[in-house]
Amino acid sequence: MKLKTLALAGVATLALAIPASAGATTLIGSGSTAAQPYLLALFKGYTKLHPSIHFVYTPDGGNAGVKDVQQGKSQFAAQARAPLPSDAGTTYVKLFLDGLCLDVNPANKLTNVSIQQVRDIYLGNITSWTGIPGSGLTSTIDPFGRDTNGGTYNFFVSSVLNNKPPSSRVTPLLSDGLVANSVKKDPNAIGYNGLAYFTPRSGLKALKLNGVPCSALAVKKLRYPLTRYIWLVLPTANSSNKVERFADWVRTSVKAGQIISKVGGVPAFNQTAKKKHKK
Amino acid sequence: MHDALLIEERPHWWSDRRAELTLGALACGVLAVVLAMLVFVVTAAWPSFAHNGLHWFGSGGNVDNQIRTIFLSGDQGGPFHWQFHAWPLLWSTILTTGAAVAISFFCSVFVALFIIEFAPSSVREILQPVIRLLASVPSVIYGLIGVLVIVPFIGNHLITQGQKQSVAYAISLNGYSLLAAVLILTVMISPIMISIFCDGLRAVPRTWVEASLGLGVNRWRTYWKIAVRTARPALIAGTVLATARALGEAVMLAMVSGSVGFAPNPLDGVIFFFEPSRPLAATIISNSEELSSPPMKHTLYAIAAVLLFSAAMLSLIGWVAKQPMKKYAVRG
Repeated sequence: MKLKTLALAGVATLALAIPASAGATTLIGSGSTAAQPYLLALFKGYTKLHPSIHFVYTPDGGNAGVKDVQQGKSQFAAQARAPLPSDAGTTYVKLFLDGLCLDVNPANKLTNVSIQQVRDIYLGNITSWTGIPGSGLTSTIDPFGRDTNGGTYNFFVSSVLNNKPPSSRVTPLLSDGLVANSVKKDPNAIGYNGLAYFTPRSGLKALKLNGVPCSALAVKKLRYPLTRYIWLVLPTANSSNKVERFADWVRTSVKAGQIISKVGGVPAFNQTAKKKHKK
Repeated sequence: MHDALLIEERPHWWSDRRAELTLGALACGVLAVVLAMLVFVVTAAWPSFAHNGLHWFGSGGNVDNQIRTIFLSGDQGGPFHWQFHAWPLLWSTILTTGAAVAISFFCSVFVALFIIEFAPSSVREILQPVIRLLASVPSVIYGLIGVLVIVPFIGNHLITQGQKQSVAYAISLNGYSLLAAVLILTVMISPIMISIFCDGLRAVPRTWVEASLGLGVNRWRTYWKIAVRTARPALIAGTVLATARALGEAVMLAMVSGSVGFAPNPLDGVIFFFEPSRPLAATIISNSEELSSPPMKHTLYAIAAVLLFSAAMLSLIGWVAKQPMKKYAVRG
C-alpha cells in the first residue's frame, strides 16, 4: 500500500509541474565558439525581455553547428564564415560584425604584422621569431589554430592561407577559448581569436594587420582586413518563428546593439539610441 | 473445507519462471544491442578497409593530408579518394595507452597494498572514498587541468630552445606532447585500477594471511607473496578495465596530445617525450564534423572498428590470462 501511495504522490507532483513549464519554450542551438561570448550575453538580454523563452547552446564549432541544423538536431546555429555550397538546406542571416584578430603573448614586442607574414608562419615557411622583425624574440614560433570543426578555421584558411592547409607545426585546438588560453601561457605563441576574446584582463595582445588595428572602429568601417560577419543559420524549411523573432531582435534592436558592443563586437544593422535633448 | 488456498498454491504474479524469462530476455536484449552496434560499425567501416587492404595499418605519407584529401573528395564532388595509412595514429595510441597502463599498474599495486594491508584504519576510511571519487571525475576536467597547468609547465620549463629548433622544420614543441598525455592518462586510469585491486586484495581469505604471519613470515613477504598472488585475477581485471578506458579516451587526449598526425620517434632521444601526436579516439573527435563526406565517414567508422576490435581483444586476453590462475582460485 505504501508503495502505491508513493507512486501516486510522484505522479501528482509531475502533473503539477507540467502547467508550470507549459508556457516556457526552449530554443536549441549549436555552432561557433567564436560567437559564443556574444550569444550568451544576447540570450540573457532576450530572456529578460521574454521570460518564457530559454536558450540552450552547444558550442561544437560553426561547421558542426550547420550540420546540426541540416539534420534537424538544432533549431539554429551560429557560424563565423560565409555560406558555402555544402550548407544546402540552410539560410544564413547576418547578425553583426566581428573581427578575427591575430594575438600574441604580451612578452612579444611585436605590434604590427602583414598578412604575408601570417601566411608564412602558418604554412611553416617562417619557423623562428627572428624572421619577423620587431618581435624582440629569438625563439621558435608556436602557432596555434582551430581544428576543422570550427567556422573560424575555414574563414582563416580561405582569407589568410588562400585555401592551403596549415602546416603540421600548427597545433589545432578544439575551441577559440583554448587558443586564447594557449597564447596566454606560451611566450612564443601566436594564435587567432574573435574580438570578443580581447577583454582588458584577457592577457592577450592583438596585433595590427597591415597597419590596421583590430578594433571595433576599424571593423565597423570595414577597414580591418579580417572583418567577418557572425551569421545565424536557420533551416530553410520549418524554421521556428521564435528563433526568427530573436534574430530580428539581435539585428535591429537598440538593446541588442548595446549588448554586442559591450561584449566587443560591432553592431551592423542595429538602430542606435536617440539622445534625449534637454529643453 | 478450505476456502482459502494454501500460500504455496496461491498464484503469484511474479513467479520464478516469469522472473527467469524476463531477466533472460533483458540479457539477450543487451547482447543484441552490442551485436547490432558491432555489425553497424563493421559494415560502415568496410569500404575504407576494402580500398586500402592491410596498408590501412601501415605508414606512408602524412596522415593529416590524407584525411584532408579524403574529406574534400567527398565534400566537393568528383571521385572519392580512399588512401589512408593510419600508422601514426595507431603508434600514438599504442604509446599513450601502453605507457599509461604500465606506469599506472606499477603504482596502483603498491597503493592498493598500502590501503588494504598497511594503512591505519583512519587513513583507509579517507583514502577509499577519495579514490572512488577520483574514478568518477569526468575526463574533460583532467583535460582542463592538463591545458591550464601541465602543458604550459612542460612547454615553458622542460623543453629547451635548442630542442625546439632542432625539429622546427616539421613540428612545434610547445608542451602539447606525449609526456602530458601519458601523465594525465595515468592519473585518470589509476583510481579504477586501485579500486579493483583493493577489492581483489580484500577478498583474500584472512586465514591464509594469518597462517603465514603465524609461521613467522614478515608482513611485507606475506602480503606480496600470498595476498597479491592470490589477487592476480583481480589485477588482470583491473588492468583490462583501465586499458579499455585509456583506449577510449578522446576528449582529454584531443586537448593535450597536440592533435597532429605525427608518429613520435623513440630515436629522437629526450625530444621523443615532447613530440605531439594524436591517438585514434582523439582523431574521431577532431574530425567529427567531416562525417558528411561519405569517404570520410567510412574512414572514421574504420577507426571506430579498430577501437572496438581492440576492446574485444582486451577482454579475450584478460580471459585467457586468468585461465592458468584458476587453480589458485579463492575457495570459501
